[in-house]
Amino acid sequence: MNLKKIFIIYKKELLDLLRDKRTVVTSIILPIVLYPMIMIGFSSMMSRQETKLEQKTMTAYLHDTINDENTASFRERLEAEETLQIMNQVPTFNRQTYLELIEDKSIQTLIEIQDSISDAGFQIYQIKISYDKTKEESELTYKKIKEIINKIEDEFVEKRLAKIQVQKEILNAVDLKEENIAPPEQMLGFALGKFLPYLLIIITISSASVASTDLVAGEKERGTLETILVSAARRSELVVGKYLTIITISIITVLLNLFSMYISFQHIIKQAGVDTGGFQLPLANFALILIIMLPLLTFFSAILLSLSTYSRNAKEAHSYQTPLMFAAIMLSMVSFLPGFELNLGFALIPIVNYSLLIRDIMLNNFNTMLLFVVVGWTLLFDFFAVKLSIYLFNNESILFRKNDQSLKFWGKNKKKNILSPQFAIIFFILIILALYYLGGSWQMKDLMSGLIKTQLIIFLLPVLLLLRFGKLDTKKVLQLQKTRPLNFLLVLISALPLIILAAILGQIINLFYPVSESYLKAMEELVNSDISLLSNIFIVAVLPGICEEIFSRGYLLKAFLSKGKWNAIIISGILFGVMHLDIFGLIPKSLLGIWLGYLFVRTGSIFIPMFAHFLNNAFAILISRFGDQIPIITNYIEDGIFPYWMIIPTIAVLYFIINAFENFNFRRE
Amino acid sequence: MCGGKLVIEVRNLTKQFMQNDDTSLLAVNDLSFSADKGEIVVLLGVNGAGKTTTMRMLSTVLQPSSGTARLEGFDIQKEPQKVRANLGFLSGDTGLYNRLTAREVITYFARLYDITDNVIYQRIEELSALLDMNDFLDKKVEFLSTGMKQKVSIARSIIHDPPVMIFDEPTSGLDILTAKNIISFINHCKEENKCVLFSTHIMREAERIADRIVMIHEGKLLAEGSWQDFKEDTGLNDLDDIFIEFVNRS
Repeated sequence: MNLKKIFIIYKKELLDLLRDKRTVVTSIILPIVLYPMIMIGFSSMMSRQETKLEQKTMTAYLHDTINDENTASFRERLEAEETLQIMNQVPTFNRQTYLELIEDKSIQTLIEIQDSISDAGFQIYQIKISYDKTKEESELTYKKIKEIINKIEDEFVEKRLAKIQVQKEILNAVDLKEENIAPPEQMLGFALGKFLPYLLIIITISSASVASTDLVAGEKERGTLETILVSAARRSELVVGKYLTIITISIITVLLNLFSMYISFQHIIKQAGVDTGGFQLPLANFALILIIMLPLLTFFSAILLSLSTYSRNAKEAHSYQTPLMFAAIMLSMVSFLPGFELNLGFALIPIVNYSLLIRDIMLNNFNTMLLFVVVGWTLLFDFFAVKLSIYLFNNESILFRKNDQSLKFWGKNKKKNILSPQFAIIFFILIILALYYLGGSWQMKDLMSGLIKTQLIIFLLPVLLLLRFGKLDTKKVLQLQKTRPLNFLLVLISALPLIILAAILGQIINLFYPVSESYLKAMEELVNSDISLLSNIFIVAVLPGICEEIFSRGYLLKAFLSKGKWNAIIISGILFGVMHLDIFGLIPKSLLGIWLGYLFVRTGSIFIPMFAHFLNNAFAILISRFGDQIPIITNYIEDGIFPYWMIIPTIAVLYFIINAFENFNFRRE
Repeated sequence: MCGGKLVIEVRNLTKQFMQNDDTSLLAVNDLSFSADKGEIVVLLGVNGAGKTTTMRMLSTVLQPSSGTARLEGFDIQKEPQKVRANLGFLSGDTGLYNRLTAREVITYFARLYDITDNVIYQRIEELSALLDMNDFLDKKVEFLSTGMKQKVSIARSIIHDPPVMIFDEPTSGLDILTAKNIISFINHCKEENKCVLFSTHIMREAERIADRIVMIHEGKLLAEGSWQDFKEDTGLNDLDDIFIEFVNRS
């Protein structure tokens, strides 16, 4: 790559973009003109509305069933309030009528006074104020009245005490005071820290998306891509030049946005007359955040550049950006959630790590080591995202993608289409939706019968119907073929080391992302329910062994075979992991799926992965039911934790088993 | 020119596209031909014959599936940068940046060819005089007419004074006057002893300017030679008839 050429490209792209009205409006005009106008206008309007509301006269109906001198003084005091109008009492009081009047905003509150006698024989005035909390005026009136009544109560108490010659001070036995030791800066940091990550991430993505769309998808649309491809520039130089342009535009936008927000914020504080007590926004923390935002910003730029390269036109690029934007918004909102603290595990999840880190920095309470982990990890992502952009740009079938790979399901070649990756993905999504909505509600009603229904109706039935509909040979597609008994034996031997490996893997994942209590409880219920061992094994091991294998291996893996044997194994394995809708089990279950896929492809018979799947689940049940009764296991495993050294022997054993598989089935081929 | 080699040498060039229904299409099938300096070679064929695919491979936009080609001795796969540095490419797909002025567009491409700003300025003046572009040189491209854009494109493609010029159907969709600009420019290139490869599906156009014609059909070479050769070979006079004769023979 030639730096000089990259710079030439960068300069031209920047000039080109800054002459584009859309870019200028969204990245420059909006932040410096529109946002301050909206914010300032909004705040001044708000304060004006508030004073208007406070000066408005509100109406209340006072229903007094006692009518003694004290309650008469209530009425007097309320009537004395300038902005309060108390309606005259009518002889026939119908409570419902007045509640309806509150509803249609004719009056704001209803006050009812009754009395009762306390246990010690004192008279108590029971005052009930009815109001509608969803109506601002009604709530405001309630607060006013409450304040007045509280004052009156104080006076009554004082009178009573005077009567029995007790000083009022006797009531003050405890003087409770609270002191918030957080300095004002930190309080501000606390408030800002919650929404700043969200805000920054949104601004970054939206500004980078405008620029990236224009730079590649826009060029395709305007027909200038071919011109630049036949120029003297290398494609990698073009990608880097464009990438730097997107970064520059994003930085400008983010800075302008922050600056205008800062100014508007200051203005609002001044306007509202809030005493800032001399404290400033924590500018040092802001500066640090801006610096660490750079890797994230460059990462987004690279991802968006890849999306833009993949898209055929600007419209398509926008539609690909939308889900990315949604995902980023969801992840960035972690900072609003209580109980989420940045740890090593969260530091490795993109966006979530930034959301938590920015919050911690605003609180002036961050871990420097984790900061470097987050930044380093993002830089790594960044590197691969740029590589991806260059790869896409060099890949002619992507750069010059012609028409959409649309599904021709109803077309002539039904058989082929059903077993195509595109169709498989749609089918898979439908199954996942069914699992989530149908399966979830079935299992809520009754766990065991729900599981049976899920397996039979969601996994097994659709595949069988689909194959029948496509007039495919079920036996051939699903590979319901006999295989040598030795394969079953090998699977049997491999089951124990696999379970140990899975357990240790689970432990490692648990170190990073601790599993929640409720999750553990749900898992326990699955294996430890009060049904008999045999039916438990049938529901949790036999049925999934058959039905999930037919879906995951018999159908999904076969559909991806056109992408290559190993791709099919890995993709169907990951889909198998996703299918379990369990974020904690995603990695172990995907690995299990890959192993089962390997067995399927190697042996050519679905019965082998079925058997392996069955063994895996059955062992899990047996260990959780009887694990603590088997001496060998309890000797090695304390509290269900496997020692880590066991990885070495298990991998060694597995290595020999895989070797045996390879040799045995290779000869067979 | 190294050792009297030809400027363009295409050897067994093949391009296979995967289509959406997973079948493959041989757009260019084992094509070989050559062109020398001071020569206008026309790639002639009907729509879909593989002309554009061939030219896009020569300009290194697409990678061949097999076979290769050399431009000025540089292999299109091994040294694509050097190929592009020696090549001026113009087609219906090579659009210009609307938001830049004509001068900015030409300057941008010239800088990418490592030409110094002084030289660029001079070259633009020269080309502006040659192509009569003075009136709109500093106007934004989006405000130019098709003919003006065509001139800017020509200037863009020749700014680095390349020894090889490739024109992919440059006249299609243009009015007679604009098309005439191109044709006279192509003749100008020949006068400057450049090697010109020109593709078209219009037989008359080929007849008018070609020194040699390379006929391709369904990705394969149909015939190669001068118009005179073809006439003698087939005993026919009209290029349309000659083309059909060759298609029938194959």
